[in-house]
Amino acid sequence: MITEPNPSPVHSRKDLLDIESLSAEEINHLLETAKPFKELFTRSVKKVPALRGKTVLNLFFEPSTRTRASFEIAAKRLSADVTNLAVSQSSVVKGESVLDTVDTMQSMKVDYLVVRHGAAGIPNQIAKHSPASVINAGDGNHAHPTQALLDAFTIKEAMGDFSGRKILIAGDILHSRVARSVSICANKLGMEVGIFGPPTLIPHGHPDYFHTFNSFEHALEWEPEVIYLLRLQLERQSAHFFPSLREYHQVFGMTRERFELVSRKGIYIMHPGPVNRGVELTDEVLTYDRSLINRQVENGIAARMAVLYWLQPGIPSPTIEEKAET
Amino acid sequence: MKPMRRLFKQANIASQDNPMPAIADVLVDESGVIRDVSPDIPPSTDMKVLDCSNKILLPGLFDMHVHLREPGREDKETIETGTNAAINGGISGILAMPNTDPPIDSGGMVRFVRAMARDRSGIPVLTSGCITKGRAGKSLADLADMHTQGAVMITDDGSPVADPYLFRRALEYSRHFDIIVASHCEVPELSRGGAMNEGAQSYRLGLPGIPACSEEISIERDLRLAQCADARIHIQHISTARGLAIIRRFKEEGVRVTCEVTPHHLLFSDNDIQDYNTHLKMNPPLRSPEDNKALLDGLNEGLIDVIATDHAPHTRFEKELDFASSPFGITGLDTALISLFTHLINKGLIGWDCLVRRFASEPRRILQLEPADIVTGSTADFIVFDPNGRTHVNNSFIKSKSINTPYLGLELCGSVDMMVRGTEILLDRGGCRNEPLFSSKGGME
Amino acid sequence: MTNSEPLRTEVLSRKDIDNKIRRISSEIIEKHSDRPVAFVGIHTRGVILAQRVFDRVSRHRTDISQGTLDIALYRDDLDNLGTIPSIRGSDLPFSVEGSHIILFDDVLFTGRTIRAALDELMDYGRPARIELAVLVDRGNREVPICPDYLGHGMNTSKAEHVLVCFDEIDGKEGVYTVIGETR
Repeated sequence: MITEPNPSPVHSRKDLLDIESLSAEEINHLLETAKPFKELFTRSVKKVPALRGKTVLNLFFEPSTRTRASFEIAAKRLSADVTNLAVSQSSVVKGESVLDTVDTMQSMKVDYLVVRHGAAGIPNQIAKHSPASVINAGDGNHAHPTQALLDAFTIKEAMGDFSGRKILIAGDILHSRVARSVSICANKLGMEVGIFGPPTLIPHGHPDYFHTFNSFEHALEWEPEVIYLLRLQLERQSAHFFPSLREYHQVFGMTRERFELVSRKGIYIMHPGPVNRGVELTDEVLTYDRSLINRQVENGIAARMAVLYWLQPGIPSPTIEEKAET
Repeated sequence: MKPMRRLFKQANIASQDNPMPAIADVLVDESGVIRDVSPDIPPSTDMKVLDCSNKILLPGLFDMHVHLREPGREDKETIETGTNAAINGGISGILAMPNTDPPIDSGGMVRFVRAMARDRSGIPVLTSGCITKGRAGKSLADLADMHTQGAVMITDDGSPVADPYLFRRALEYSRHFDIIVASHCEVPELSRGGAMNEGAQSYRLGLPGIPACSEEISIERDLRLAQCADARIHIQHISTARGLAIIRRFKEEGVRVTCEVTPHHLLFSDNDIQDYNTHLKMNPPLRSPEDNKALLDGLNEGLIDVIATDHAPHTRFEKELDFASSPFGITGLDTALISLFTHLINKGLIGWDCLVRRFASEPRRILQLEPADIVTGSTADFIVFDPNGRTHVNNSFIKSKSINTPYLGLELCGSVDMMVRGTEILLDRGGCRNEPLFSSKGGME
Repeated sequence: MTNSEPLRTEVLSRKDIDNKIRRISSEIIEKHSDRPVAFVGIHTRGVILAQRVFDRVSRHRTDISQGTLDIALYRDDLDNLGTIPSIRGSDLPFSVEGSHIILFDDVLFTGRTIRAALDELMDYGRPARIELAVLVDRGNREVPICPDYLGHGMNTSKAEHVLVCFDEIDGKEGVYTVIGETR
């Protein structure tokens, strides 16, 4: 027997697949939890024994150094054992499905599966199949929930609160899982969300709460307090979403002229990284005192620790085929 | 045992003329012909009497859009398993699509498939042929040969004929044989890479979209070409309200166009794709609830001529891939009738007359086949349906080789109890008496 | 456990608590007359106990630091709790390295909480010395830990609960033994 724990007001979940399924209360709880985790980083031993004996498997079907490292450090600071597995997507398609791969992993008795995959919905599929807690570390164009949480944490640190604050997300909204998760998260926390980008990269059927603008200047008149620049996948040019990178930067990017205005107004700038200099932003942004880009990276660890600590591995729900047997 | 007469007592007989079935007795003689349909036929000792009170007798359904996969993909379906699935679902005749491997694009292939079907199926299996050789969209397939061997429709289903010049020539040429040209409408450049309907839901799920205009532009083009060629055309699996409006316009202008809708485009919308369920992925994709409504209205109004399943079996492995990578298509033969009964007839959204007309009479009329009406003098071709029964759609119920149906694991209302074709009882679930459950072919008692 | 009314017996009254805290305070002043010490309260009621002792001691001393400790991340029973405890975080605004620390908790029972607290303190640095002050020691130790400053010692059974109530958070003051109810 040990001191009665202070029970959490927010119940745990098995998986974190997207932001959409989280309540504002759950998001706020995660942000609250991330705070003491960040404070740990100032101690001489930056590690706590909370997940001692647990195994975290980083299952990355799509290459990523930053996110993987961030999850790895987060898990290690919670004293979990971490294994990294990079699987090439093409080898999977050949005849072994992702679920086959996960079955193989399952024999290793992992407690947490951190999954990144180029196809939307893979983490959902794995979560239904596996008793391990599944954390979506980015799936296709769908979701990147831990990015949204670390971004919300960073915004809260910089501005104190969310209610009524305005965030402008700029760039390739259509193909961005970051834009999806960040916009949903900001909306749930009570922020106003604006989007801006070439009309070819603005999705049909986007949510009604998006404010849209016909020029960057028009968007700035809306007086956003944070501008979230998205990374542009350079191959979009060949699919005719815009004629050239030069033109993209001039019309839709954070040019030097626009940056001068932005810095005069003291607007915070965020970016999920890595940046394309001279495409979505000009070099000067990187040394701007209100750029939160480095802080986002630092906060990623605390936010991911909060997620790992909050989730509880459990029993998988039966698959539809199993139901069909009965 | 020598064939005997069968008397179906007190059955509720559904027809294309009355929304509600009418009670009558049906007598089928020893040669499989309906001898009498009247209110009270006295039983005699040489008759087998079946109590059909509270059951519905309706003509065997005809599905004019089925992918049997044989030859080429026997791991997904064969003619035998496909027709067993049809019988299981109350469908007593099917038209196979030609996109097999190799495709059915020559007289030889048509003959081969028809011969195989005669050996392995208890119900008529008709086949269509390709419009273009190898479904490659480059040159016309030999139509005369295919027609002579019994092809009753030409289509490149699975893909459109992208080249408008070639499609125009196909329509014109078909007139000589009075064979119907069926079109899978899609502009490939607009739908390329898409996995589901483009809209709020595809944005939410982060899946590449297929815009409705891809289908609508193609319908418009094909109907205009059919008008220009003065040819018969059949638009396959329409899915959008605007597509239907285009068909209405050309029908009003006198173009000889018919069209079909699948049960899934009536019953599901893209909003139902909540959790990347690949059993809701097909082409054309599920559209919006407004489209469901327009299609249902079009069906009731008679603007939509036919219900057809677009039965498209795929292996479990393929459907376990991620949503974008898994192939288009779901199965429909086993579940079409019970799903339409559960969600439309039971709720009063369509009448039995609509179902019989669109899923039994019209397909046969369009393909110039014998009708399957339950009237004195015609060969028995009907099913006994229990509206109070329940069907568990599980692995033991499904007779298709594949289980890619959104109903997997669910229970639906109604049960197809029996299928009668001539002297044969192709299906008997014992709803009317105590006898063996399922006989695939021929074996009468 | 039955559904009947829990049996609640007062062990210490408001006045008793006050006396015990006064005694603990004077013992601490006596023992640490010549060096700075840090008071570290364990969440939640250990923090209040530490604060009350601090309030008395600081009348005589100005070299006392204060901190709080949340042992949630160091619990050895996280797997069996069923629910995940929320974290309030620890706050040690002084250098732990080489310091003299007095840990405060309301009740000493199995000793596992103190074990966790010691582990956590060590992760902040290497203190010169750690002592333990508790208001109630109810016995039943599962690890070899004993208090340096004790308010009240008593024998209890494992089935009993010992409830410490402080005005600050419970709206009343007193120590009770309870059978058939948790807080």
